[in-house]
Amino acid sequence: MAPPPASAVADSMVVASRPRDSQTNVDIMAVTKGFHWPWLVAFLFAVSGVVMALSALVYQTYHGFGVAGYQAPVFWGVYIITFVFWIGIGHAGTLISAILFLFRAKWRNAINRGAEAMTVFAVLTAALFPLIHIGRLWKFYFLLPYPNQRYLWVNFKSPLLWDVFAINTYLTISVLFFIIGLIPDIAIARDRAVGWKRAVYVVLSAGWQGTGKQWKAHSRTVLHLSGIATPLVLSVHSIVSWDFAMSIVPGWHATIFAPYFVAGAIFGGFAMVLVVMIPVRKIFRLERYITDYHFENMSRFILFTSLICGYAYGAEYFIAWYSGVEPEQTSFWQRAFGPYWFSTWCMITFNVVMPQLLWIKKLRTNIPFLFVLAFFINLGMWFERYVIIITSLSREFVPAAWGLYIPSTVELMVLTGSFCWFSMFFLLFLKMFPIIAISEVKELEIHARDHAHGGAH
Amino acid sequence: MATLVSVYDMPSDVSTVVRKLKNRGFEDLTTYSPAPFEEIEEAEDPKPSAVRVFTLIGGLVGVVTGFGIQIWMSMDWPIKIAGKNIAAIPPMWIIGFELTILFGGILTVIGCLILGGLYPRPLDDHYSPRFSAEEFGVVVRCEDRDVAEVESLMRGNNAKEVTLAASH
Repeated sequence: MAPPPASAVADSMVVASRPRDSQTNVDIMAVTKGFHWPWLVAFLFAVSGVVMALSALVYQTYHGFGVAGYQAPVFWGVYIITFVFWIGIGHAGTLISAILFLFRAKWRNAINRGAEAMTVFAVLTAALFPLIHIGRLWKFYFLLPYPNQRYLWVNFKSPLLWDVFAINTYLTISVLFFIIGLIPDIAIARDRAVGWKRAVYVVLSAGWQGTGKQWKAHSRTVLHLSGIATPLVLSVHSIVSWDFAMSIVPGWHATIFAPYFVAGAIFGGFAMVLVVMIPVRKIFRLERYITDYHFENMSRFILFTSLICGYAYGAEYFIAWYSGVEPEQTSFWQRAFGPYWFSTWCMITFNVVMPQLLWIKKLRTNIPFLFVLAFFINLGMWFERYVIIITSLSREFVPAAWGLYIPSTVELMVLTGSFCWFSMFFLLFLKMFPIIAISEVKELEIHARDHAHGGAH
Repeated sequence: MATLVSVYDMPSDVSTVVRKLKNRGFEDLTTYSPAPFEEIEEAEDPKPSAVRVFTLIGGLVGVVTGFGIQIWMSMDWPIKIAGKNIAAIPPMWIIGFELTILFGGILTVIGCLILGGLYPRPLDDHYSPRFSAEEFGVVVRCEDRDVAEVESLMRGNNAKEVTLAASH
């Protein structure tokens, strides 16, 4: 029998009424729309802090490093401490995005976007500090190998140069990971935006339509980026730790430094995810997507990495004692009972003692408690770097050369400004792009619906 | 030629209909999905993605570049440090590794852009914002005489809507 003409078939087709938009799209895109007082207050506060820090930086650049607290024998101060702190914060994003992706931990889907954004902004913040620390900001390109008239090259045997390559690689890969993950969600925003926002989203979504070909390329890209970002994330903080461990300064020259720094970075990074995502969830009413289950899983990670940190702290003291090396023993004794005892005991209390409360399930699911604990953990992690850097440098081999370092007002202003700089970018991101990976959340929701419907998987 | 656009609610229906259409020889088809579903990707194109080739090439270029620049620059400006060789290999593993990852990552993303056709451009005629909500689309281009068969395959696999978009 001859088939009917196409026009006749078309007439017989019933077109269903146009359905509503997906509730997930509506809920998550709502964050980018409308006016939120808490957001505005936080943004203005962040911008003020950035202006304050910039003023301090201009003042320091004009007057020289005398206005910082640097004095013999301590010439690595708040700027290097804060650099290590922010690099550590940047570790949670890649851990959640890459490592948990490889382990097929689906619970990461609601928090990975926020953590990735945090990673990018934290590494951007961190990358400023070596430049601030070198004083003459305009000479920053000396850090890179570049052709020059004197035919000299950088020293490839220096851990500081390894760090330059590690940080730049980490920043690039984090940004690529972040952008690739964002493209499908920008397309969602594009399809629902009007005016100039739509024009921006049209360019940024790069012609994304969710075709099978595009999803295939996208999924494999995320997989391969995860595969290569996993050793990268472990290498970056190891290399940062070698800035210290490759030297012979008592308190730094330890083989445990690489895993100790990596565990500390994940620990601090997860705490920062809690500090950031708990208010975001509350203010933008995202409880349906970021549940207590997510926070409980993160607190388990925090508890686990806190134990590794506690072990590392103990191992450092044990090895110092067991080695029989007097400068090493003195350095560690001075950490706990010398002029910087306060920072050491803050570090131990906030990073090892307080997180043990997370053994209690009721506390792991108590959101206000988690927020306060995460805040103190971040404080503790900053103190950890303070302890490592300052106590070691101020108590080296010769007691006659010992000194005392006290951060100056300028340094503290720049430190405060770094938090504002990070927050400013994060707050802008909240209003421009979806804070939750919509397509990944939908993948879970639709799969669940398909299973209930008797889908063939 | 005719173009049929069908809309589905479930990814399992999409993967089934795509498989059936391909078995019947309708190869010129495109799927639209609001989220990644491996079963749809597999049904549409079971071959492994070529993204991995880009990753491999990037990684190899990276490791060669990493060691290459370090050896060349060390030899070009020789300074003896701590009694080590001018071009000492062990410390070069660090930057060699970092550049492997860096180039591998960049090439992976370039591969994604090329293979996914990702650049600012007009969207397909049959694309709809519904496909970035929660619905799936399957678009098939076929001969006019095959329209009835394609439509019946689509409806038989829970297409909630089938439209004839174009017929020339």
